[in-house]
Amino acid sequence: MDRRDFFKFGLGGAGLTIGESLTGSSDSDSSLSGNHEFDHPWWVNRLEEPKLPVDDRVYSRFNSRKNVFGSMVKYYGMKNLKELRERSQKKTQRYYRENRPGYRLQDRALADAGWVISRLGGLNRGTRSWTRNFVRTPQQRGVEEYKGSLGEAAHMIKAAARYFGAATVGITRLDRRHINAKERGKRIVFEGVEEPYGNKEKLVIPDKCKYAVSMSVQMSLDNIACSPTALSSAGSSMGYSRCEFLVAGLTEFIRGLGYVAIPSVNDLGSSVAPAVDAGLGELGRTNRLITPEFGPMVRLCKVLTDLPLAVDKPIDFGLLEFCKVCKRCAEACPCNCLSFEDEPSFEVKGPWNNPGHKAWFEDSPQCLAYWQESTSGCSNCLRVCPWTKKDKTVIHQIIKGASAKIPALDAFFTSMDESFGYGRQRSARKWWDLNLPEYGVDTTQGKG
Amino acid sequence: MKRNEGYCYLKIRKCPFYIWIIRGLGIVWLVFWAEVAVGSRMELEPRAFGISIGVFTVSLILGLFLWIRGNLKRKKKSL
Ligand code: B12
Repeated sequence: MDRRDFFKFGLGGAGLTIGESLTGSSDSDSSLSGNHEFDHPWWVNRLEEPKLPVDDRVYSRFNSRKNVFGSMVKYYGMKNLKELRERSQKKTQRYYRENRPGYRLQDRALADAGWVISRLGGLNRGTRSWTRNFVRTPQQRGVEEYKGSLGEAAHMIKAAARYFGAATVGITRLDRRHINAKERGKRIVFEGVEEPYGNKEKLVIPDKCKYAVSMSVQMSLDNIACSPTALSSAGSSMGYSRCEFLVAGLTEFIRGLGYVAIPSVNDLGSSVAPAVDAGLGELGRTNRLITPEFGPMVRLCKVLTDLPLAVDKPIDFGLLEFCKVCKRCAEACPCNCLSFEDEPSFEVKGPWNNPGHKAWFEDSPQCLAYWQESTSGCSNCLRVCPWTKKDKTVIHQIIKGASAKIPALDAFFTSMDESFGYGRQRSARKWWDLNLPEYGVDTTQGKG
Repeated sequence: MKRNEGYCYLKIRKCPFYIWIIRGLGIVWLVFWAEVAVGSRMELEPRAFGISIGVFTVSLILGLFLWIRGNLKRKKKSL
């Protein structure tokens, strides 16, 4: 019987029944939810609050128009933008002529094709529609909607999420401030309605949608290791398509139980903030989520629902302390867009950041400009992160555990990581001969 | 074994406890680096593989050398 089983069948099981009957199923304690098979490794601690604070007076809903995609002309200027694109196109053609590995036709075709499923959905559109697609409702089946304890429901949702392709899954009470105030010219509002809907002016989320199921999908390390080439972009695009399938599947499943579910990948609001709240990982120097199991090598998505669920707590695995000393992502960033500051701060870098939460904010326009310069995007910050590992040897678990418990060792681990050659760019030519597993990822990684 | 006037003397040399601990640690050390080498190869990390296989090989050779030397010394003593 290992630690997980001990909690599952032993103390945990007893706690579950006694706890739920005494407290009337409090939704705020994941230790009562019977979700231990979805737990992180032993060296990860649960916290009451995320480690990085939010300033409640300032933090509010973001207008997605302000992110770099929404305000390109404003952030770069029309002339610069045009020049940037022209330079990028010329370079792309030159790379074709040179037959440069990672930038050849097959590499770029793979990156584009990776988007294929992702393209089927958008904000309240296609696979991400806010209304039921085809799944039969309990009413149509002649039965009542699903009823179970918070813990049972959470357990079931997590099992279904895994089945649809989630690498990790966590649940949090929805913090409405993480939802964008406006997107694609439409206001996003909460109203006391039964079903979500959208019209020309607004998108309406029912007040009763109080939960967010946050999920990660693994990206292929072997692809991201080729960054910055089209093969690393293929790692991202495949991640997006797998997110699309995951949220589409999970929302239909929840609707089939008789509840409301709203799917979201990049749209609707931050994917990182609910992931932090739901304990999938911590916010790192990349200003992105870093997980204990896969480091930053994940794409994120979420589903909002009114199905009552036991929620998880944020986690601490010593990442904040690690990022303070490591800085490898900032060093590897070809456009210097990541912060070198020792401490995260409330001070934003520009209007593309949402003020009110503490982070290592990045210079996003520089990042996106480099995507044009490289002609095929960039994932260098993910590639070099020492938390990016395949975990085929025990040494990684030992070091991750030691780093979580003894931050004084972080500087040593960082330099050892570099000395051992981790995070170096890999050959894009050889990628085609790797004989990779399905989706280019080891789906058993991180499952205890 | 010594033969002396019709008697057989059996000399049993007791290895001190710390030697057993050192041997045990040596084996753990070797297994550890072998595991890192195999894992690094599966991870397609050439440098990590090179370093770990290097440490493993050097440790193994050093261990064998010490072991053989120790044996020879002991044999010489007992002759
Ligand atoms: C726009 C965008 C970008 C822009 C930059 C963001 C911007 N400010 O314009 C560009 C194009 C440059 C970009 C680059 C990259 N991105 Co991006 N990006 C997004 C997107 C679509 C929207 C983010 C946004 O609106 N930011 C604007 C404001 C909110 O930014 P901010 O205040 O600085 O907050 C950031 C974090 O602090 C956190 N956050 C936001 N609010 C709050 C609140 C709290 C309390 C906390 C703790 C955190 C938090 O999320 C924000 C991420 O930008 C998200 C998807 C999504 N919906 O989350 C993906 C997303 C954040 N990106 C992602 C990734 C992986 C990347 C890249 C590595 C590219 C790649 N190869 O895949 C690079 C990394 C660059 C870097 N390290 O800085 C992933 C991150 C996954 C993860 N592990 O966390 C996401 C979630 C996409 C996905 N579906 O997986 N990105």
